[in-house]
Amino acid sequence: MTAINTRTLDRELKRGSAELLILSLLDARPRHGYELSKLIRARSNGRLSFHIDSLYPLLYRLEERGWIKGTWVERAGARRRRFYKVTAEGRKVLAAQRKAWRAFVDAVRAVTGDENA
Amino acid sequence: MPDWKPDLRRRLAGLQLPPAREAAIVDELAQHLDDHYRDLIAGGAEPAEAERLALADFQAGDVLAKYIAPLRLASEPSHPPPAAPGQSLLAALLQDIRYAARSLRRQPAFAAVTMLTLALGIGANSAIFALVDATLLRPLPFPDAGQLVAISERTPATPEAWVSPVNMTDWSTRSQSFVAIGGTAPNVASMVLANADGSTETIPRQWVSHGVFDALGVTSVAGRTFQRSDDLDRIERVVLAESFWRSRFNADPGIIGTSLRLDGDPYVVAGVVPDEAQILGRTSMWALRNVENLPPAARRQYSLRAIGRLKPGVTLEEARADIDRVAADLAREFPATNTGRGVNLVPLRDTIIGGDLRHTSTLFLGVVGVVLFICCANVASLLLTRTLARRRELALRTALGADRRRLTALVLTESLMLAIGGGAIGLAIAALVLRAAPALIPDGLLPATVTPTLDLRVAAFCAVTALVAGVLFGLVPAWHGASPAPSQLTSTRVTGGGLRTRQWLVAGQIATAVIVLVGAGLLVRTLVAVGRVDRGYRADRVLTMMVDPPGSPSLMAFYNEVERNIRALPGVRDVAWGTTIPLGESYLGDVSAEVAGANMAPADRPTADFQIVSATYFSALDLPIVAGRGFDGRDTADGQRVCMVNEAFAQRHLRERSPIGARLTLRSQSSTTDPGSECEVVGVVTQVKGRPDEAHDLMQVYVPLLQNTIGDVFLFVRGASGDVNALSPAVRAAITRADTTQQTSVRDLQTLDDVMLDATSRHRFRAALVTAFASLALVLAMVGVFGVLLYSVQQSAREIGVRRALGAGTADVLRLVAGAGARVIGAGVVAGLAFAALGARLISTMLFGVEPFDPMTFAGVASLVALTAALAMAAPVWRALRVDPVIALRNE
Repeated sequence: MTAINTRTLDRELKRGSAELLILSLLDARPRHGYELSKLIRARSNGRLSFHIDSLYPLLYRLEERGWIKGTWVERAGARRRRFYKVTAEGRKVLAAQRKAWRAFVDAVRAVTGDENA
Repeated sequence: MPDWKPDLRRRLAGLQLPPAREAAIVDELAQHLDDHYRDLIAGGAEPAEAERLALADFQAGDVLAKYIAPLRLASEPSHPPPAAPGQSLLAALLQDIRYAARSLRRQPAFAAVTMLTLALGIGANSAIFALVDATLLRPLPFPDAGQLVAISERTPATPEAWVSPVNMTDWSTRSQSFVAIGGTAPNVASMVLANADGSTETIPRQWVSHGVFDALGVTSVAGRTFQRSDDLDRIERVVLAESFWRSRFNADPGIIGTSLRLDGDPYVVAGVVPDEAQILGRTSMWALRNVENLPPAARRQYSLRAIGRLKPGVTLEEARADIDRVAADLAREFPATNTGRGVNLVPLRDTIIGGDLRHTSTLFLGVVGVVLFICCANVASLLLTRTLARRRELALRTALGADRRRLTALVLTESLMLAIGGGAIGLAIAALVLRAAPALIPDGLLPATVTPTLDLRVAAFCAVTALVAGVLFGLVPAWHGASPAPSQLTSTRVTGGGLRTRQWLVAGQIATAVIVLVGAGLLVRTLVAVGRVDRGYRADRVLTMMVDPPGSPSLMAFYNEVERNIRALPGVRDVAWGTTIPLGESYLGDVSAEVAGANMAPADRPTADFQIVSATYFSALDLPIVAGRGFDGRDTADGQRVCMVNEAFAQRHLRERSPIGARLTLRSQSSTTDPGSECEVVGVVTQVKGRPDEAHDLMQVYVPLLQNTIGDVFLFVRGASGDVNALSPAVRAAITRADTTQQTSVRDLQTLDDVMLDATSRHRFRAALVTAFASLALVLAMVGVFGVLLYSVQQSAREIGVRRALGAGTADVLRLVAGAGARVIGAGVVAGLAFAALGARLISTMLFGVEPFDPMTFAGVASLVALTAALAMAAPVWRALRVDPVIALRNE
């Protein structure tokens, strides 16, 4: 399996599947940007990765839509960090997108007959 | 760690983001790059390689800007203006405030004690500032009050004499410097107001000339004030004080232009003026006294106090030159009356607010300033302990990159928040004190127009005091807190740093407390001395009142009948008349007395308090006659004119002859041309005090009422037993029975004991206030002693433990702990006594019967401080004695 190239992911960004990734990860608990990027890379075994200059504009966009909320958190002696968590509205969106994604995957699998799709 | 921020800013530059937003994005991305870089280094990369790889996460081209540009944040208006560094400072400040609030919430007892301590200091200061502001700082409550002057006459015999109405009108018409000049009678007397239903009431009234309200700049609330035409048409008129108008006439505007029947005559109500006009006298109304077109003889009637308003731009010096010229002209034109008479112009404020009041206010301000210092020192001490206990936390912050400035700001923010809290509570305390103040401040200490109130100025003072205090007491802990050694991070024991600072603070507190205590001691000793003063007269249970019958030829008959009526009352031992109340008011003031055969220049002639008394006066007041005789039936209206002098007068001015039979010529003190009246001294009477704290014996001359019958006389009624106040209704009824006209006013009822209390009220007020503050200072200083000793015992528990383990006994530990405390206290006491010795001179004008360097007071204060210090030391010493060597060592 080859890594999905940047261009593909960027297209996905526009299409909304990248949003699904972010919302899913934040659904578990609040995280900061670098943690998100590491998690995506690690869980996809390095096949998915965000560029720093794509990730943050996406976070800002989600925030502007009111799906996630960022707050600065101070820790004694450390630089402040911005943590994001999913809002109530974000959770609704996430549920809808998960459903749509599952339907899409099921449809693709049904068409291709490939167990691994 | 590379600095990513310049690169990030460059990437965002094209977007023209609001600075705060850009800074936030740069922060966030820099954090991301930091994390990435750290991971790369941890993975074995070389720094240069790690930096390159971290930055490689950016795609080619302006992707970041391209993706951010469509977002709303990119189109937000760009304000505040770019590159506002205040933003991050403000953010830091807000962060500090949040942090300080959290940490204070965690220790509510500490916060409460600190704020209350400060509140006491700030509250007391603000209340006293209100007094100082009212007396020393604020101008009189009139427009352009700086242009107001008090005008008096000057003769070779007296530097300050009352003013002749005719001279006053001449100054007004001939000088170029005044907008208006007006005069008032020196005293407030009263008139009897007859109501429609036939009842009567006595109303305080002061005579004034037209021009006086114009001079003050007072405008009427209703109707108008007096005008020159009112004087010329010779219709009797009154102007009412606003509070009287409101309370007595329900603020009825219809009263203007109607007549009131006063002392039997109709007076037209011209208008109503605000109560500020009571600066002239505490009265309910002002009646118009004619000063225009008076007969030439009136030039000798020196009976007014005058005030004037200078024209805008005219200085006091210009006005003085102008009025001197007028006075010189008058002396040429009227040599018989005006030769040698000059005119004094003094700013009105200086005459209203006397030196006594100024000194008292300054004294109080000094005392409460000292109390505030002690409060601040205590709070600094408390904060210091807390800061030292937090050294680990602060060391940790330093290790994590907080710089010194940041830590100082953090500790200072906490101090300021405490100060602001303390200031707010202090303001509430000040408000309470000022609400209670009118009841505490003795009558007559403050002029009518001076009322200390809680206004914006006091609030501003309170705020500034709180801020200054916050910075002052915050500096010491901030200094100590901001320089934690890295070793503090690992040490579990708080080291003894700051103990020396705290010892200095406590020694300073004790020194200042000693200074205030010495002041209080001296003032209390003064009060005791004043209370012990020999008043001269022996009588107690004496009731006095001013009786003011309408002038008539049968005055003496009236007095005699009143006296007879009162003597017939049960419980009355004696009755007398006189124009001076011992230790109280002298209705007639001083006369100049020329001793026959003594050949003295007018300026050197003795002056003496002039009293008209009835023959019974001396027996009624138990005033021993030491030579000759008292007045009696021989001294009839057409008999030989006689007088009596007091001991001081006889010793001073009649030393070379037998006082009995000496002849005196008594003249009005303010007149150079009064021919005077001659009288023969028939007796010498015991000295009576004019004021309890007078420095020189008062000279007194008495003349008999029978030969000098006047209205406005004090009645003295001496009771046989019990409360003399109980006699007053019967006495009033006895006067009413003799008063066929029903126009006699009776006022100012008081006992001689009240008069004595009044006469010493200033001393009592000062002594009480300073003693209260001194006690507060002592308690606060001892709290400081207690705190620092307890702290030092905690600090040296290990040392004590080691010593005990090595065999030190109770006495050794006692020496160690109590010795340290005693050194601090001793240093404070010695320094305090030294400064007090220097400072006591400053209040010497307020002292009486005690020297500024009074050994008894100084020794007493030293022992008091030593005693209370011993009490404050007891608990810490006890604790030191119970230090268990095993536990103390195990703690390490």
